[in-house]
Amino acid sequence: MERRKFLKQVSLWSAGIIITPPVFNITPKLFGSPLIKPDIIVAKGDDYTSMLTQVVESLGGMKAFVKKGDKVVVKPNIGWDRSVEQGANTHPMVVTQIAKLCLDAGASKVIIFDRTCNEERRCYNNSGIRPALKKIRDKRLRIEYIDDRKFVSVNIKNGKALKEWSFYKDALEADCYINVPVAKHHSLSRLSIGLKNVMGVIGGWRGKIHFKLGAKLADLNTVIKPDLTIVDATRVIVRNGPQGGDLNDVKILNTIVGCVDPVAADAYATTLFDLEPNQIKSTVEAYKRGLGQMDLTKCNIRYLKS
Amino acid sequence: MSQLICLVVFLFLFRHTDYTGNDTMPYAVNILFRLDPLVLATITLAQKTFVTLLWPSFIIIGLTLFFGRCFCSWICPLGTLIDGSGHFIKPGKSKFSLPYLKYIILIIVLISSGFGVQLLGFVDPFSLLVRGMVFSIDPIINYLVSLVFDSVYKMGPAALSDYTEPVYEWLKIFVLPFKQSFFYLSFLSFFLLVFIFIMEFFGKRFWCKNLCPLGGLLALISRVSVFKRVPIRSCKNCELCETKCRMDAFDKDHKFEFEECNLCMDCLEFCPDQITSFKFAIQKNNTQININRRQMISAGLIGLALPVLSRTNAISKTADDDLIRPPGALDETLFLASCVRCGECMKVCINNALQPLFFEKSMEGMFTPKLVPRLGYCEFNCTLCTQVCPTGALSRLNVEQKHAFVIGKAYFDTNKCLVYAQKKSCIVCEEHCPTHDKAIKFNEIKTRDIQGNLLVLKQPYVKEELCIGCGICEHICPVPGSSAIRVGSSV
Repeated sequence: MERRKFLKQVSLWSAGIIITPPVFNITPKLFGSPLIKPDIIVAKGDDYTSMLTQVVESLGGMKAFVKKGDKVVVKPNIGWDRSVEQGANTHPMVVTQIAKLCLDAGASKVIIFDRTCNEERRCYNNSGIRPALKKIRDKRLRIEYIDDRKFVSVNIKNGKALKEWSFYKDALEADCYINVPVAKHHSLSRLSIGLKNVMGVIGGWRGKIHFKLGAKLADLNTVIKPDLTIVDATRVIVRNGPQGGDLNDVKILNTIVGCVDPVAADAYATTLFDLEPNQIKSTVEAYKRGLGQMDLTKCNIRYLKS
Repeated sequence: MSQLICLVVFLFLFRHTDYTGNDTMPYAVNILFRLDPLVLATITLAQKTFVTLLWPSFIIIGLTLFFGRCFCSWICPLGTLIDGSGHFIKPGKSKFSLPYLKYIILIIVLISSGFGVQLLGFVDPFSLLVRGMVFSIDPIINYLVSLVFDSVYKMGPAALSDYTEPVYEWLKIFVLPFKQSFFYLSFLSFFLLVFIFIMEFFGKRFWCKNLCPLGGLLALISRVSVFKRVPIRSCKNCELCETKCRMDAFDKDHKFEFEECNLCMDCLEFCPDQITSFKFAIQKNNTQININRRQMISAGLIGLALPVLSRTNAISKTADDDLIRPPGALDETLFLASCVRCGECMKVCINNALQPLFFEKSMEGMFTPKLVPRLGYCEFNCTLCTQVCPTGALSRLNVEQKHAFVIGKAYFDTNKCLVYAQKKSCIVCEEHCPTHDKAIKFNEIKTRDIQGNLLVLKQPYVKEELCIGCGICEHICPVPGSSAIRVGSSV
């Protein structure tokens, strides 16, 4: 299998046995074909914990994604030294509930991390995510700071704008990768949702990606393909993103979106900002790469009653 | 015993001079400098006011009034380390000594600080020790330990690193710093510190006896102390206490010099007749202070000359645009006079952004902190450096005050900026700008790229009145080499 071959190269490269970076040459097959109509589950309410449980339940339950003994990566956005209300990071309740569901499904390890923009300890603490996760006393759950030794160069064979970049090993090797982005305004890419959240698992000088950002994000997302995307739109930054800071720029939406298709998840979340999916370049580019569906008329959107 | 406890406390506080998940420092990590009466003296002279932060030094003054120079052998962590180094460096037996030097240094430092030149940082034992540890020892240890574990992790078999990694993790939590730090002047600080230990080859506690100005100050205070050793001279037929005394606290006539004694009390043990003892008694000093009038006057003149030299230096007439002081810094002249170069702010800086100056500001600016944004930026919500400054050279700021404190202003180098020079989209600086109304804004402009195609670009600019100079834009700018947006202190 292609993926197994790729992972073997990853571990060999990490061990310094091979010098040429692992080659990622997997063409996405599943999504973007008109035959599949992805489910988009939308929950509204203020009890985030039970909303999340329902969203995951509607997508077939966490056991559909996490097999017993799986190594799971839950990737929230913890990019900024901002408080929960300021909305620059994923809501801690969303992260903890996803982590709990993964543990209940029998994961052998649940790793949570992000490569932050501000100082990592400040981001982890002040986002509320680290303190909230510390309350779950389970040895399988780990919230980790980025370890620079774990970045692996990857040759993105089918990349159009980006041919090589380094990725975090844990993200590459995860049996199940759950993307838990926060939806927010972003000055350059207009919005930062799921596809943009991949920025937290890559190494290198990330500022360099901002030229042709949309296309490059799509290329990065061919390598890291989440099994499940949960978009946190409980409160969203509508101006001065991606870090905001002013509570006047934050809008309470009390919405959580769940979807297996990463592009459809972004496409739907875009509409929460009164924008069209085709106005977001990364969504369009990812759709073109066949990473998922961006035409919402071709998705099953289901609203959960709370 | 008390020595060991004080050393452990010192090392503990050193390690906790860091962000620990708390926006306020949980411990008084700067206590060593606040206990230092010499800091109190020079800062009071320099600022012409009493800095309340320095009240703990009265504890040491009081202690010295009672027990003499006991600080040197009971508390001083540098003294403890010097004593400890005796196991590795065989202290010389030479009688070469210059006890008046410490008084000369003391006089120079005190007088010049009164005229705005703060030299304490070059000679204060704690400045030398803490700086040496911050700039060199700590980074070296972390580098070496990490090198070992990283090599195992990268090259060793996975089975081995399964055992080493938990050890490494444990060390990282309890012993090692959170991150590898990097400092300018690591060489200089290292050798200044090591030199103190090398001087042990001339004799035990060579630094303390001859050079330490704090020792000198405490010696002067201890002349009126009431806890002293008897007998007041060495016995004629023995002189064991005199020859073995680590402080050489006896003059040519075998008279005991109270102010040179650091109360290590070793002489209690090696006196064959057990006649030495330490007791409370009001005794007249039977010896003169180890400095003569001529030395005193020349020291005073040097102390007066240095500030004049500094004021006639051309550097005082020029502005260094790259010199960005930490938040809370006093007015430059007062800041220079108030900074004792302890290195605490640079140690605590969460992004390793504060670095010591070398000769940018001539001698009198050496080892003072500046922000080097390309290495690290000033974290918007962090106020730690203003909390650890022992002298108030950085005045304490709360988060709101910090958000408003201007340390510099950003400006674009449009010859380098990707948007201006190459017509590429970027605005990473705008994305990172932390002020609540962003100081970096952009215009959408229609332009042509290098091939001549029409395109719409977001062109950034700085709204100067909103910028506080944190430098995250300069830090994060993706242009290689020097940044296309820079923070200047005099913009």
